[in-house]
Amino acid sequence: MTPAVIGLIGVLILLVLIALRIPIAYSMLIVGFIGFAYIVSPRSALTMVSTEIFSNFSSYTLSVIPMFVWMGFIAYYAGVGTSLYKFVYRLIGHRPGGLAMATQAACAVFGAICGSNTATAATMGAIALPEMKKYKYDDSLSTASVAAAGALGVLIPPSVIFIVYGVATEQSIGKLFIAGIVPGILLTLFYIFTIFLVVRKNPSLAPAGEKFENKEKLSALRGGLFEIILTFLISLGGLFAGYFTPTEAGAVGAGSILLITVLRKQLTWEGFKKSLRDTTRTSAMILLMVAGAMVFGRFIAVSRLPFEMANWAANLELPAFMVMAIILVIYLVLGCFIDALALILLTVPIFYPVVVNVLGYNPIWFGVIIVMVVAMGVITPPVGMNVFIIKGVAKDVPLETIFKGVWPFLAALIACITVLIIFPQLTTFLPQLITG
Amino acid sequence: MRLLERYITKSSRFLDSLAGWGIAATMLLVVVNIILRIVFKAPIQGVYEYVGFLTAAIIGFAIAYCAIQNAHISIGFLVEKLPCKVQKIIQTASGTVILIFLVFASYQTFMYAREKAISGEVSATAHMPFYPFIIMVAIGLLMLCLVEIVKVLKGVMVK
Repeated sequence: MTPAVIGLIGVLILLVLIALRIPIAYSMLIVGFIGFAYIVSPRSALTMVSTEIFSNFSSYTLSVIPMFVWMGFIAYYAGVGTSLYKFVYRLIGHRPGGLAMATQAACAVFGAICGSNTATAATMGAIALPEMKKYKYDDSLSTASVAAAGALGVLIPPSVIFIVYGVATEQSIGKLFIAGIVPGILLTLFYIFTIFLVVRKNPSLAPAGEKFENKEKLSALRGGLFEIILTFLISLGGLFAGYFTPTEAGAVGAGSILLITVLRKQLTWEGFKKSLRDTTRTSAMILLMVAGAMVFGRFIAVSRLPFEMANWAANLELPAFMVMAIILVIYLVLGCFIDALALILLTVPIFYPVVVNVLGYNPIWFGVIIVMVVAMGVITPPVGMNVFIIKGVAKDVPLETIFKGVWPFLAALIACITVLIIFPQLTTFLPQLITG
Repeated sequence: MRLLERYITKSSRFLDSLAGWGIAATMLLVVVNIILRIVFKAPIQGVYEYVGFLTAAIIGFAIAYCAIQNAHISIGFLVEKLPCKVQKIIQTASGTVILIFLVFASYQTFMYAREKAISGEVSATAHMPFYPFIIMVAIGLLMLCLVEIVKVLKGVMVK
C-alpha cells in the first residue's frame, strides 16, 4: 500500500469517526496520530503529537483568537448589539421589510467587532426576533433572515475563520481581514435586496414598523454605533495601518471595548465574568481543533496525498475553473454536514496546494470564497448551526419553518459568490491597495 | 461516582477560571507593551514569548471544562437516528478510544516537559524555561482524561 493510499484511507476513517459523533478535534488527533505512526513510526508519532499540541497552544499567531473572541463577548454582554439594532431600526424600520433589512445592516456592523457567525446570529436573534414578532413579521422570513445574516459576522473583519485559514496556509491575516470587507458589504446588500424582493411579492410577510422623528433617530446614534466605530478604528485601523500585529489588534480591541463599556456602565461585573468564561470555552474549542488539524495535516503531508492530488489535478484535461467548480461543490456538500471552521481546517491541507500551486488562484481570494461557501452550510439542513441557534431563541418556531425561509437567502449567497468568482478583483483590490 | 464527577467538575472549573484571568492578563500585557513601545520607545523584551506561554497555559487549563460543557464540536445527527442501545455502545466505544489517546498524549506531554527541563532549554529573548508551560498543558490534558473517564463510566452505568 502506498503512503497516498494510506492517506486516503485515513481521510475516510476520519469521516467515519466524525459521523460516529466523536468530536472533530479528537477525530483529527486520533487519525493523524495513528496514520503518522503507521507511515513513520509510533515513537515519532508520540513525539509529534505532544510537540504539535504545545507549539499550537503556545503560538503567538494563534493567541489572536482569544483576544478577538473576548472582544465579541464583551460587546455581547454589554448589550452593544441592542443599542446598535435600535439605531438601525429607527433609521429604516418603518419601511415594509425594514426590520429584517435593519437586522442585516446591524449584523454587518456588529460583524466589525465580532468574529463568529454563530455569535452574530445569537446576538441579533435575541434582539431582532422579538421586535419582528411585535410587528407581525412572518416567522419564516424573520428567523431565516437572522440565521443568514450571521454569515456576515465571519466575512466582515475580525473573523475567526480567516485567522485559522491564515495560520493554516501561512497567509497574512491582515490581508484576509481587508479582503473580507467588500464581499461582506456586497453580501449585506444582496440580503437587503432579497428581503425587498420577497416583501414586494408578498407585503403581508413584513408589515411596516413604527416611524421615528429625526431627533429620535439621532438620539439612538449615541448607543452601540459609537462603541463599534471607535473600537474598529483603534483595533483594526491599527492593524491595517501596520502599527499592530493581529494579536495586538485583538488585545487593543478587547481593551477598548472593555474600557468604553465599563465607563458607560454598560458592562456589569457578572457580564465581565461571563465574557471571560465564554471566551475560554470558545478559544479552547477552536485551538484544540487547530492542534488536531495540524496533527492530521502532518499525517497527510507524510502520506504525500496533497502531492498526488496536485499531480492528478495538473494532468486533468479540464480547464482550471472546472476543477475549481468541482472543489467548491465538494465544499458545498461537506459544508451541509461539517462545521465551517472544522471543514476549512480539514480540507485546506488537501485542496490548498491544488488550488494555489497547480490552478494558480490567488490564495486570499480562495480564502474568501471558501469562507462564503462554507457559510452556506450554517443555514442548510441537516447541520445548519445558525438555524439551530435561532431555533434556540425562537422556541415556538418549528425548524422546518426556518429552513423554508432560508432559500431566498441561500440564492442571494450563491449569487454573491458567483459575482465574486466572475470578478475576483472585488476581493483582491482592497488588500492590494492598502498593503501593496 | 457522583463524588468523583463533582470533584472533577470543580477542579476543571477552577482551572478554567485561571484561564479566564490569563486572558485578561494577556490583554493587559499586550496593551502595556504597545504603550511602552509607541510612547516611551521601550517595549518589553520577549513579549511575544510571554504571550505565547500565557496562551498555552490558558488553553491547557480551559480544555477540560470545555469538554464538560460539551463544547468540542461533534456531529450527532446520524448517531441520533440509531436505537438508544446502539447509541450507547457507540458512545462507550468512542469514549474509550478518546480516553486511550488522551492518556498517551498527556503522558507524552509530561515526558516532553521532562526532556525540556533536563536540557535546560529556554526561550530566545525572555530566557524563560519552556517546561513549566508544557507541564500546564499536560495538566490540562490529564484533567481532560479524567473528564472522559467520568463520561465513559456514566455511559456504562446509565441504563
